[in-house]
Amino acid sequence: MPRASARVLIACLAFASTAGADDALQWSGFALLRASNGVESGPLREEKASAQVQVGIDWSPSPFVGAHLHLLARDDDAGARRGTFGIPEAYVDASFVPAGGRLRLRAGAFFLPTSRENVDALWETAYTITPSALNSWLGEEFRPIGIDASYTRRGLMAGATIYRGNDTFGAVPPARGWSLRDHWATLGEWIPVDPEYFTSVSAENDDRLGWSARGAWNGANALVQLTHIDNRADGLAYGRLFNWGTRFDILSGEYTAGDWTIAAEAGWGPTFLIVEGEKFTNDLQTGYVLVSRLFAHGRAAVRADAFSVDDNDRQALTVAYLWTPPGHFRPGIELATSGGEHRAIIELRYSFAGR
Amino acid sequence: MRRLLLLVLLPLLSLLSTSASAATLVVDVRDARGAAVTEAVVYALPVGRQFPPASRTAVMDQKNRTFIPHVLAIQTGTAVRFPNSDDIRHQVYSFSSAKTFQLPLYKGTPANPVRFDKSGVVSLGCNIHDRMSAYIVIVDTPHFAVTKNGRTEIASVGAGRYALHVWYPEMKDAPPPVALTLAATDTKALTVTVRK
Repeated sequence: MPRASARVLIACLAFASTAGADDALQWSGFALLRASNGVESGPLREEKASAQVQVGIDWSPSPFVGAHLHLLARDDDAGARRGTFGIPEAYVDASFVPAGGRLRLRAGAFFLPTSRENVDALWETAYTITPSALNSWLGEEFRPIGIDASYTRRGLMAGATIYRGNDTFGAVPPARGWSLRDHWATLGEWIPVDPEYFTSVSAENDDRLGWSARGAWNGANALVQLTHIDNRADGLAYGRLFNWGTRFDILSGEYTAGDWTIAAEAGWGPTFLIVEGEKFTNDLQTGYVLVSRLFAHGRAAVRADAFSVDDNDRQALTVAYLWTPPGHFRPGIELATSGGEHRAIIELRYSFAGR
Repeated sequence: MRRLLLLVLLPLLSLLSTSASAATLVVDVRDARGAAVTEAVVYALPVGRQFPPASRTAVMDQKNRTFIPHVLAIQTGTAVRFPNSDDIRHQVYSFSSAKTFQLPLYKGTPANPVRFDKSGVVSLGCNIHDRMSAYIVIVDTPHFAVTKNGRTEIASVGAGRYALHVWYPEMKDAPPPVALTLAATDTKALTVTVRK
């Protein structure tokens, strides 16, 4: 584990340990078993059987301060190094209320708050079993390790992030292709993108900080957000990690009316690398539209995805039903199709929580 | 037997006398252009006397990442339950001075309701979903109501002097209270104009 990630982890554990057995400390998460028809390659790649456990440990002694540690274990590491157990997120967070608004500061490793579908705790999607191509990519390749500040007042939000790591962000779509799967990268994990190279959210090879800025409008039932991400990587190879210089914009929106939700995101931007002095640039584009209905004991969703690298377009259609009977178990089924390939996944999820 | 009869009849008579001497307020809340102000809380504070705190329970639900209702008016002393009828977890918080609190990340219904024992406005949020917001307006009177399409009715108001107040979401300046003297069986209709 790189030193920066270790420091974040130690700081968070030290912070959380001061809570002792106090009520302010709680943990919650889930364990899941998944079975599929097994797809060996392409955007619908999925093992025939897999299992995961994720736990969030939260310490919040007051509404104004808190710490969060997210742990993950999985049986299928998809060929990654240090991929079976790790920490996707570890951060401390503080809120202030100046001028009638909310100023929120966060320091550590965290998912950037852009997703319109990964809206549950632990960055889980509430709608389907596997996320869209956009959020699959962000979950696998992007995890700011730094400081985030956001200010919200009267439905308007502005936020900015400065972060280390993520030098290889942008490798997956051009090198391995877009995918629809929930392999959240953990700190220090190396995920293969081709037989020789890896991507890692912890990769900081050129000592150049990345940045992101976002703004949102939030109405009673609707939200629109625009986010810009720039990892400011130099595009050079560092051993088996290749820096990809990626600038990416995400426009997202959602609308809820009663039990119905419509969510959509579109992302686009260039990524480049430099090989033997020559610069190669790829244009990344992806987006999805999702419609979902909440029932008394379940949720149904349909999502249409589109994704491309340069002019190589592809689409996917995903249909899912998640059954939420009273109790801890949540069975779910998801069917997806893309370019003549089909995938069926059934999942049994067990949720738990304690203090 | 006579004592038993008295025990049954006295509360009934008292109930009848209360309703017989109760006034009704019909209030329209409009902005400067005459448009109806929805979700405005209208409440009548008694002049020169106080009501004891309530011992009621109210509900602020969460469904599809939305607080329901968006504006909840309660009397001081009321306990509010925060069930989560969603399929995902929420973490409700308030930074407001009227009641600063936080519920843990949860699904279902938390064990204990939250008691609001100080008047004021509590702005609610969810730590997981910045989009979620709602208000709890705590007032020192049982005579309150929330407008729907700009209009509401407060029934069973006892005779006496009152100051009628209005609050609505994102209010910048509170409109001056309206002085009222209500006689028994009055039905008073009035329009309050607010700056939006």
